[in-house]
Amino acid sequence: MIASLLPVLSPGTLLAAAVTSTAASLWLLLPRGLTGTAERMSRWLGSLLGLAALACFIATGHRLGSLGDEAVFLIVSLVAVISGAATVVSRSPVYAAIWFALALAGVAGVLLVLGAQFLGVATIVVYAGAILVMFLFVLMLAQPAGMAPYDRVSNEPLLSAVAGAVLLGILSLTIGRLTAEPPACCLMPATKAALLAGSATAADGEATDSDRGGVDLLAENHVARLGGELFGRHLLAVEVAGVLLLVALVGSIAIVSRGGSGGGLGDGDARATRRAVS
Amino acid sequence: MTPAPLVLNGLVVGAILFALGLVGILARRNLIVMFLCAELMLQGISVSLVSWSRHHGDWGGHVLVIFVLTVAACEAAVALVFVLQAFSRTGRLDSAAWQSLRESNLPRVVDHELPAVDTVPHAFPRLTPAGIEPPVDEDALLEREQV
Repeated sequence: MIASLLPVLSPGTLLAAAVTSTAASLWLLLPRGLTGTAERMSRWLGSLLGLAALACFIATGHRLGSLGDEAVFLIVSLVAVISGAATVVSRSPVYAAIWFALALAGVAGVLLVLGAQFLGVATIVVYAGAILVMFLFVLMLAQPAGMAPYDRVSNEPLLSAVAGAVLLGILSLTIGRLTAEPPACCLMPATKAALLAGSATAADGEATDSDRGGVDLLAENHVARLGGELFGRHLLAVEVAGVLLLVALVGSIAIVSRGGSGGGLGDGDARATRRAVS
Repeated sequence: MTPAPLVLNGLVVGAILFALGLVGILARRNLIVMFLCAELMLQGISVSLVSWSRHHGDWGGHVLVIFVLTVAACEAAVALVFVLQAFSRTGRLDSAAWQSLRESNLPRVVDHELPAVDTVPHAFPRLTPAGIEPPVDEDALLEREQV
């Protein structure tokens, strides 16, 4: 949308600007042991640069079919990305956990828009409902009073921000290249067959024009078919996952109850049990 | 067949989430925040997998995301137990508290003295007492203690 208003900005320039401002904003936002006015200025500048980076990413994004689709996708993905960034840069771990919950809501929205109904709901239930609450429990158990000094500094903030931004740039470049026509050797079998039959142009034009979101082949009877796939083709993997959950359960209880001299939660009970057994 | 615009946008969102999580893992020192960032990276992966699943019209991505959820639950359980144990030994959630485990050729992390932050205590709202305080029933208190 913005790209059409500003024809000067090519996708390459926009991507470079996005990567640079992402690195700068993350560096400014990460805790670096500043105080007072310097801290506030750094946060404001970092937020502004982050918004600029988001605007660049939105400008390089692809248009969806209708304005409604576009608005919904934009809102949920902005919620996910902004809350994710806030998770990373929050000084207080409790705030980080709460921002992460909001990021999960955004991710669930993105999954719903992408047509993964079951996974969107499962993300909310499993992550926000169970895993995140566990995180908060541990935070309440293990939070020392006041703002800890190690929450106010970072390991190499500049280098890590640059590393993340470079990775992001490489990934975005690769994703941008996907729109280019692949060489004939790498075409999918169905497309190749269609090409051989000579009907490729007609089928291609139909598919891209009718629906900019692409044809969702998985939409019909979604959850039932997902369940069939999971418990049919991947039945063994489901069994292994169940065993993995059991092992993690037993293992975490064993670690807590036999956790060395530091005095874990159930330390006294475990010692009493061991004495009773021997 | 080039991916649909929705698929491409989903891939970009997944990439951004993954990169943010990576920055958090590299930079932050609080153990719990580091684990939150690892979960953020897993979320980015999930979004990418679902996008590809939609592109190919195949269930593989969805099934993989379900297993990612399972493994994330296991990982969170075990990791948080480790964090609790680490906290009970050192009294800190600091990853640098365990730097004696680092490689021998790496320099030691030295913390400089941070300027004190002006910790303004939170101004919690005070509720004004309403109504009349009921008289305390001494007998009832005694009974309660015996129970």
